[in-house]
Amino acid sequence: MFLISSSRILKFSWQHFWRNIWLSLATIMIIVLTLFSLTTLVLINVVADRATSSVKQTIDVSLYFNNETSEEAVTLLQTELEKIEQIENIRYISAEEALGQFKQEHEQDQSIIDTLAEIDQNPFGPTLVINATEVEQYPVIMEKISELKADELAEKIDYEDHQLLISRIDDFTNKIRKFGFIISSIFLIIAVLTVFNTIRVGIYIHRREIAIMRLVGANNWFIRLPFIIEGLLYAFFSCILFWVLIYILMHFFGGQINSFFSEINFNVSTYLSDNMLNIFGFEFIIIAVINMLSAMIAMGRYLRV
Amino acid sequence: MIELRNVSKTYRTGTEAVRDVTLHIKPGEFVSLVGRSGTGKSTVVKMLVAEERPSQGKIILGGWDITRIKIHDIPLLRRQIGVVFQDFKLLPQKTVYENVSFALEVAGYPKKYINEIVPQILTLVGLEDKHHSFPDQLSGGQQQRVSIARALAHRPKILIADEPTGNLDSINTREIVDLLLKINKYKTTVMLVTHNRDVVNSLKKRVITMEDGRIASDRARGRYAL
Repeated sequence: MFLISSSRILKFSWQHFWRNIWLSLATIMIIVLTLFSLTTLVLINVVADRATSSVKQTIDVSLYFNNETSEEAVTLLQTELEKIEQIENIRYISAEEALGQFKQEHEQDQSIIDTLAEIDQNPFGPTLVINATEVEQYPVIMEKISELKADELAEKIDYEDHQLLISRIDDFTNKIRKFGFIISSIFLIIAVLTVFNTIRVGIYIHRREIAIMRLVGANNWFIRLPFIIEGLLYAFFSCILFWVLIYILMHFFGGQINSFFSEINFNVSTYLSDNMLNIFGFEFIIIAVINMLSAMIAMGRYLRV
Repeated sequence: MIELRNVSKTYRTGTEAVRDVTLHIKPGEFVSLVGRSGTGKSTVVKMLVAEERPSQGKIILGGWDITRIKIHDIPLLRRQIGVVFQDFKLLPQKTVYENVSFALEVAGYPKKYINEIVPQILTLVGLEDKHHSFPDQLSGGQQQRVSIARALAHRPKILIADEPTGNLDSINTREIVDLLLKINKYKTTVMLVTHNRDVVNSLKKRVITMEDGRIASDRARGRYAL
């Protein structure tokens, strides 16, 4: 009985969808636009996170020692620094490594290579490169370095405060997020109203059938469920159409889009294909829930069972 | 079978459609409920199928007190009462067969049972050769037969016909009345709501006359007396 009723409910849902195919298509297009805005919002969040973390990754504190400083003194300082809980790791670069790195970086510049050859000794001393657990901890670390009098031992301390840059990025992306959120909310409201109207029209078109269903003793859920499933069908087909459009878009314009984000090492095509099921599931659930709510409100308002 | 005890119905607008009606219809009876338009006949029908609830009194159908029937029990009630209307209420895009089977489909009956019962009912109402016709290919009388067939799909104990001949000529009217009498012979209680004088007078059955929301007369072998 349950299986028979379920299959008939599905049949009726499909009939509701198919008999108003133009209205159904218009509804699907509105939901697809909503999905575009939602996906853009998701991508903005990811791009913002990537941009911020790529800036954060470049931040460190470098303590340069002159070549007369003994390795033992530097190692001793490193041991003391490692006790600071705000420090995540400390990398020791020996004088030889520093020279090697410098040569590698300037291998194209013959004049620098010649100058080094003329000096005939290693001008570099050892270096300690310090990374903090959190970017906000650098000022604290700088204070502790000072307490340990490491700044007296080191020849030079290189720390550029990137807080301003990071806060500017955060500020900018927050504004974009807010804008995206407002646009997505507007589209969601439009989608709710569109689905509400489509179900309302569906109830009007099927009013005779509904009246007869009531007359011959159809259960209330037998009358109501096809409209709720109709809302789910809109969600399902919208998500499918949206991902087909995304595939076409990425197929033809993926190169340009990806190159636009290459500076922050973000590949939109890879991200979308890796997270397709998550994003699809998340968006389908959101759209399905709002469609079902819209259908229920429309039925509560216009369907008497 | 059908019992109304001091039933009154006042709509929200303040209109008193039915006033203190008490009547009892026995199983297998054929009763005509007559009266001019606006005397409360249709309100009685609506209360019997739980489309309206009485403001006062009690309604009992086959021992079941439906006065304050729960919303989820209404479909069960409607499967026990077949109702036909003046305007047939058929689905134009469905065939005769589909219109009748629709009543069973929405109640969850299996296809096998539907395929067995629908031809039998269509034969009973004389439409055995019209299975694949659409309503607009049929005469008014034939459309009303389809409507009666659909009302009989659940094998109800009660059949209520609310002005079933209102849109029909005299020949078709006679055929429909004969069909209702035939159904009544199979022990189905029939309540014919009408204001067709000739039909009522030809039946020589019990006639309940309503006037101004009240029962004006109730005669075992009555005539249309308005």
